[in-house]
Amino acid sequence: MEGFLTTVEMTFLGLAGGFALGILSALGDVYGTKLMKVVIAGYVEFFRGSPLIVQLLFFYFSIPALTGLNWDAFTAGAVTLMLNSGAYQKGYFKGAIEAVFKDQLMAAKSLGMTFRQTLRYVVLPQALRIVIPPWTNEYISLGLSTSALIVLGIRELTNISKSIAAQTFRPLEVYLFASAIYFIWITVSMKIFDWIYEKVKIPGLEVNI
Amino acid sequence: MFTLENFLFLLQGVPNTLAISFLSFALGFALGIPTAIVKQFSPYGLGYVADAYISIMRGIPVLVIMLLFHFGMAGIIPMFKSAFLSATFALGLRSGAFQSQIFRGAINSVGRQQMMAATSLGMNRWQAFRYVILPQAFIVALPGLGSEIALLIKDSSYAFVLGVLELTKYSDIVRKATRSFLYPYLIAAILYILITFPVANYLDRLGSRLKTKYGLR
Amino acid sequence: MGEVVLACEGLKKRYGGLWVLKGIDFEIEKGQTKVIIGPSGSGKSTFLRLMGLLEPPTEGKIYFEGKDVYGSGLDLNMIRAKIGFVFQEPSLFRHLTALGNVKLGPKVVLKMKDDEAERKALEALKTVRLEEWSHHYPAQLSGGQQQRVGIARALAMDPDIILFDEPTASLDIELTWEVIDVMKDLARRGVTMLVVTHELGFAKEVADEILFMDDGRIIESGPPEELLKNPKTPRAREFLRRLIGGV
Repeated sequence: MEGFLTTVEMTFLGLAGGFALGILSALGDVYGTKLMKVVIAGYVEFFRGSPLIVQLLFFYFSIPALTGLNWDAFTAGAVTLMLNSGAYQKGYFKGAIEAVFKDQLMAAKSLGMTFRQTLRYVVLPQALRIVIPPWTNEYISLGLSTSALIVLGIRELTNISKSIAAQTFRPLEVYLFASAIYFIWITVSMKIFDWIYEKVKIPGLEVNI
Repeated sequence: MFTLENFLFLLQGVPNTLAISFLSFALGFALGIPTAIVKQFSPYGLGYVADAYISIMRGIPVLVIMLLFHFGMAGIIPMFKSAFLSATFALGLRSGAFQSQIFRGAINSVGRQQMMAATSLGMNRWQAFRYVILPQAFIVALPGLGSEIALLIKDSSYAFVLGVLELTKYSDIVRKATRSFLYPYLIAAILYILITFPVANYLDRLGSRLKTKYGLR
Repeated sequence: MGEVVLACEGLKKRYGGLWVLKGIDFEIEKGQTKVIIGPSGSGKSTFLRLMGLLEPPTEGKIYFEGKDVYGSGLDLNMIRAKIGFVFQEPSLFRHLTALGNVKLGPKVVLKMKDDEAERKALEALKTVRLEEWSHHYPAQLSGGQQQRVGIARALAMDPDIILFDEPTASLDIELTWEVIDVMKDLARRGVTMLVVTHELGFAKEVADEILFMDDGRIIESGPPEELLKNPKTPRAREFLRRLIGGV
């Protein structure tokens, strides 16, 4: 149970950090300078192109060696999840921002709205709604990916299950039980996100990205 | 120090990584198409089985499935005594669920109009599906299949936890042996990127080229 | 002579290597309605977007109420707020109701209080005869209704002039009329309007002047009776013959 809480905690840390990183890099990619775009593309390619496990090992072992910074497995794990999720969320946000069509940006300009006003009143309210369904997918996939934290020895659900399985010599039951916990958690969360989406849905704003 | 020797040693992990990914992709393909068809036509009310399969695979970490196979079921199914096969089958099983969704999406995008046109020629539902819908759906599905392969290549790294000698495991061995903390994982990450990128990119481009050629959306 | 609201001098615009506008002099006075016609690709829409300050000119000057817009460090957004623009595609903000769309400008740009902005917006919606539809989202409105919301959105800013870029070009014929009727209304009320349209009926009825554009220039202009009945240039004659004969 304690392991489950760590799993949930890590998922939310990763999602929240990834949310901020995702929005910022999406905005940077859509509206930013050439250099920003290149940096963002490199960031995204690294985190989307390589396995989370390798990233975790890299951040835990290599970053301290590189910078002298000393951090524990938990911090390294959380930071990696944030960076990883940010790279994926960037894609969703970018799609959503671009789904707010150019004609609306032109219309906002014709009213005399500044760039920031346009972003705040026109682009983000639409993009944030459009992004909910893909964002739900990211939540699921990140939630399940937290099992990779086992390689840093973080005591989340999978890791705890592995120790219990080893202690009790009943791996079948233990892993089935762990599977059930993951499954119920993911299914319930999905229902909640669907409900939220229905709540804030606006007719005509269902865009597939 | 990280040397050329170490690098060549690290490369030995690549064949297993590729083997796990491609075998599990093939397994997923073999499972994915029938699942998509079962969901589409739901013969004998089997649609629910397909639904259950998909949502279970969507709701459990693939690593837990691997552990379940290798440690939990090796006594029942001898094949799972092999860590390699446990990992491959876990990934393949999940990929089957994912690929069935890719095919479903593609089938739906081909649309009703084509189905009606085919039935107006006197084809039955299955014939229309087999000769008209499926070939088009396959083209539409290509980019999705590309990302699925990329996902499998990356997720094959979970086999590291079972001790399979694949790329991640090798980089870990190199790290421990050389006490070089920086390079092994970085090189491994770059190798993964170098492997995934061309595959996904190729299928993506092939997909859009064929789509343009045949005027599909 | 009324006060000149919007004017330009030697206006040119280039996209890449292509000169779309090749030098335009133009002015419109308070209360006037001017209509621009011309074949597609003649630069009408580009001209209008430049006059609406949505794109900068490559060369030439634009004057708003006598002030050189790009030359004197003015806040462009404050001038854009005084120039209404109605687009060919309705371009409504899809997450906001009709009322929300019309209210946003007064609230955010003109910094009105919420109830004040709402009153303003309802008034504008009434002018375009849509007060009963104020709580519908764009996707729930017909193309003609959406376009009228677009007009209300411009109106609610109390603009000194409204520019219309083929507001009926993407509408079915019966929806065109409801938009044109609203525009005629506005013209009669003395709203200053610069309209790109091929609705010659509208031009005939309310325009003070028609400008014929071709190949990036205004090549002929005059009062509607004159230009529509006896176009002087062969190109205008040819264009009108096709427009009237072709429908």
